[in-house]
Amino acid sequence: MTEPDALALVAVFLIPLGTALLLMVVPSTERSLLIGITALSGFAMFVLSVMIFLQYDFEGAQFQGVRAWTYMENVGLLGENGIQLKVGIDGIAAAMVLLTGIVILPGTWVSWKIQDRMKDFFILLYILTAGVFGTFVMLDMFVWFLFYEMALLPMYLLIAVWGSTRKEYGAMKLMIMLLAGSILIFTAIFAVYTEAGLGTFDLTQLYGVQFDEDFQKIYFPMIAIGCGILAALFPFHSWSPDGHASAPTAVSMLHAGVLMKLGAFGIIRLGFQMLPEGGAFWAPGLMFLGITAALYGAISALRQTDLKLMTGFSSVSHMGYVMVGLGTLNVIGWTGAVLQMFAHGIMTALFFLLIGGMYDQAHNRDIPNFSGMARQMPVWTVFFVIAGLASLGLPGMSGFIAELHIFIGAFRAYPLVGGLAVLTAAITATYLLRMFSQAFFGEFNDRWEHLRDITLAEKCGAAVLAATILLMGLWPSPWVNRISTTIAETIPLVTL
Amino acid sequence: MGMEQVWILPAIPMAVFILLGLFNAYIPRRGDFIAVLGMSLVVLLVGLVLLDFQGSFSDHEFHPSDGANTYAFDWLNIGNGFFLIEFSTYVDAITMVMLPVVSFVALMVLVYSIGYMHGEKRYGWYFAALSFFVAAMLLLVISGNLLQLYLAWEGVGLASYLLIGFYWERQSAAEAAKKAFITTRVGDVGLLIGIILLWKATGTFDIQELISAAQAGAFTETYLTISLIFLFLGAVGKSAQFPLHVWLPDAMEGPTPVSALIHAATMVVAGVYLIARMLPMYELAPIAQDVVLYTGLITALMAATMGLVASDIKRVLAFSTVSQLGFMFVALGVGAVTAAMFHLFTHAFFKSLLFLGSGSVIHATEQQEVEGLGGLRKKMPITAATFIIGSLALAGIPIFAGFFSKDEILHALMDSGPSWAYVLLAGTALLTAIYSTRLVLLTFFGETRNTESYNHAHESPRIMTAPLCILAVLATVSGFFAIDQVGKLLGFEGGIGYLVYPVGGHPHEFKLYVLFATVATITALVGLVIGWIYWHGNAQRANAAKEWAPEIHQLLVRRYYMDELYQGIINRVILGAAAVVAWFDKRVVNETGVDGGAQLINFLGWRLKFTQTGRIPNYVLAMAVGVLAVIIVAVSNS
Repeated sequence: MTEPDALALVAVFLIPLGTALLLMVVPSTERSLLIGITALSGFAMFVLSVMIFLQYDFEGAQFQGVRAWTYMENVGLLGENGIQLKVGIDGIAAAMVLLTGIVILPGTWVSWKIQDRMKDFFILLYILTAGVFGTFVMLDMFVWFLFYEMALLPMYLLIAVWGSTRKEYGAMKLMIMLLAGSILIFTAIFAVYTEAGLGTFDLTQLYGVQFDEDFQKIYFPMIAIGCGILAALFPFHSWSPDGHASAPTAVSMLHAGVLMKLGAFGIIRLGFQMLPEGGAFWAPGLMFLGITAALYGAISALRQTDLKLMTGFSSVSHMGYVMVGLGTLNVIGWTGAVLQMFAHGIMTALFFLLIGGMYDQAHNRDIPNFSGMARQMPVWTVFFVIAGLASLGLPGMSGFIAELHIFIGAFRAYPLVGGLAVLTAAITATYLLRMFSQAFFGEFNDRWEHLRDITLAEKCGAAVLAATILLMGLWPSPWVNRISTTIAETIPLVTL
Repeated sequence: MGMEQVWILPAIPMAVFILLGLFNAYIPRRGDFIAVLGMSLVVLLVGLVLLDFQGSFSDHEFHPSDGANTYAFDWLNIGNGFFLIEFSTYVDAITMVMLPVVSFVALMVLVYSIGYMHGEKRYGWYFAALSFFVAAMLLLVISGNLLQLYLAWEGVGLASYLLIGFYWERQSAAEAAKKAFITTRVGDVGLLIGIILLWKATGTFDIQELISAAQAGAFTETYLTISLIFLFLGAVGKSAQFPLHVWLPDAMEGPTPVSALIHAATMVVAGVYLIARMLPMYELAPIAQDVVLYTGLITALMAATMGLVASDIKRVLAFSTVSQLGFMFVALGVGAVTAAMFHLFTHAFFKSLLFLGSGSVIHATEQQEVEGLGGLRKKMPITAATFIIGSLALAGIPIFAGFFSKDEILHALMDSGPSWAYVLLAGTALLTAIYSTRLVLLTFFGETRNTESYNHAHESPRIMTAPLCILAVLATVSGFFAIDQVGKLLGFEGGIGYLVYPVGGHPHEFKLYVLFATVATITALVGLVIGWIYWHGNAQRANAAKEWAPEIHQLLVRRYYMDELYQGIINRVILGAAAVVAWFDKRVVNETGVDGGAQLINFLGWRLKFTQTGRIPNYVLAMAVGVLAVIIVAVSNS
């Protein structure tokens, strides 16, 4: 197998960035040109990320496609190669790059429906995407943080301008909470930099440093909470349901699908990989918060009537599983955590795509208002049921693969937590099936006579996501091999 | 085709599912013939597997040959086999009982459905979903490891959900589908926990490896007991045993052929199959095995009493199914795997016959409540005759299939169970005969209670009566398979006792203990007579009995108030807890914690702005106070 090329890793975030720049000079009246450019760009990102994922050789080196361009050195505090544009991926990052590529493709397609300032929307969306890709492939802590912030900031405008229901409130809350998390990360980054005393932000060098144990115990939770806010870590999750509810379709997709994983990814990259003893010390706490979030989100979702809020709480619950997996400190649980990041990303993107496709027509998302929608929107219903079944962990779908690993990992670490995690899956089935029988089945409500099934673009987008769900559910080894090998070989203190 | 290629069996209906699921609109007749042909092929191939399987018998003993356990590929592998899920198929006698049952009943049901579902608007989807079910069910019975079994287990659950909810425009159907899925899911939580616990102690999911590990003492008895009780929870959910039986009567909202296949003959016996498969492990954990025994006993009795009063023809049969499944678990509870699998075998034929018969009645009259039926034997002679045969088999009248298998179970219980359990189960057998008689009398005898639908009624088309006749023959003769001479005639070493017997045990000859069989026969006949006395003609005595003890009647009609109890728990406890959590999240976490934090800063900003007065004296005063404070601190420090 060939390793992925460093240039591909650079290209994967330069494409959306370049597209955003290009779009700035295209007149906003030229809709078909805009659609053409974004179609090409979205497809290019998709193909490139699939290529990177497939080329990643899980039997090869720890980081692949590594290459650095020095940005700044020998200036004041900085040492040699102080700040670099250093790219490289491991199995975890490869899966995350693939996730982003798969989500942005339908995310682009469904956004062509936007009538109001489509050009500006795409510019912001692609800047966000570039930030996400960049964070996943970056191996320099400073530049990592730059891209991390680049992924967050466009959210504010995207929600506040193109959103719905209490959009200003949702956007403001989301932004302030996430930035509060960024402050913690930022502080921890500089603390680590000075403590190491290497004069460089190069992560691969920092991974070799043996930090003082007390230092680790203090700074690991800063990173875990700082990044955890973005991963909707309980009790810092409250931006998430409201943020999702108010965001426009593609933003919800990208946000719940990919951006939340950025948080969990940060906990791995900056937390566990750099400060392993701190991570091991706090792992039970992480697991406790995770299982609390899983149960708490699922139980809250039982009570929600707004479709997007329900999905939002469902996300809190599913991201709780990720924390449970990370807290197990064994390879199976960790593999499950990363698989869950991927699986949840795809299924949530599908959920939000479908909710958007319906909301654009009905301007209503209140579940009790709907009944028998399967008659009017059969294709929509089929895809929704697929996403739901994946979400409740039906074997043969991606969610089950991830949950199985997490359950087993949890049973190895703390059987009680494992039992509660399995129970949560049953609660998930309850709220989803209640929603199905209320909204999709039963007698048709004539009020929705005017609704049409989802558009062709939405059908294609949903098909891409549903196919991924089934592919991973039936043939999980491409994911499992890459992820579990990376974890087994590179994450300190995580044992078989 | 031999046992190594047994994976082809589920692959065929799966291919049919994909073809019909996506393209049925473009195929003539919506592709129903493809489903039927595919299933015929499966039946044929099962025959070939059976031939190959016979080769593994010699000296009256079953020797699992190399082909029995076939490794296919690694599905998941972490840490070089530390966490390994292999796909593998395993064929033994238990599998060989299941395969013909599943494939043959499925074929009958598919053929029958051509007539029954004629003109339905989702006709193609129906055949696709049914094919998906059969694929999952076949995969379930050939699975060599527990995780693969779990995959198929959830697959049949999904098919059941989709088919119960086939008429999803009816709210009741949508609700029933939901109830079935969630209730079985509760059991599946236990199943998955059980599987993981077993893996944790041994590091394998492979069933045969687990059994040998258990026999080698890999588990402590407590650990094994707990794991196996969790595992049994899955069977309780899937096989509708007390206390998770509530979903099966409601599942009758699905099309009747679906009830015949999924909710009588195949899917609901998956639990029995699982426990039979794992029985060598249960033998090592007596407490867990007792749990199986008593769960089965309670369920058998309870469901039979509910079957006595149910007014919907399909629900009577559903309660009867629950009760008969209880019989099978009782057999497993005393270690009589032969009896359990034999009853599973015969029950599949006579119960699917009864369901298809009731479907024929419903098709003709569009009535499901016995209140709207009666006297139909003149209008529908074939349906009536076959239905009566099925009922006689269910009641346990000699020469019909149910007699032999029920006799085996009662005998096993007498041998190795407590005597009071035997009395209870024999009482249940009596009740079975009573409610079977009641159903036949109310449906086919007496005067009709709905003249309009009676006048419309007509015998069903041949495509529906043909499967009824074939199944009626099987409901009569399948019991003979207990007898050694019949088994030899079919090319086996002997009867069912030579095919299925406890691991480590020995094949045994079926014996009809004359005294024992006489008691059983008399019990059944008494049941018949009681049923006739109470329900013949206008069912005067039954109505009198109803008025004599209305409370008991109500208790049974309301199914011991268990549905109300569960609904109450869901509404009050679960949704109540959800309301509390949702309130907490909204008020405490969000409005107090998050918004409150923001408002606090806002408020502080508002307060502090008043210090910015713009008047020089105020600032000078503040400066003076500040300077003073600094001086005081400096002085006190030095």
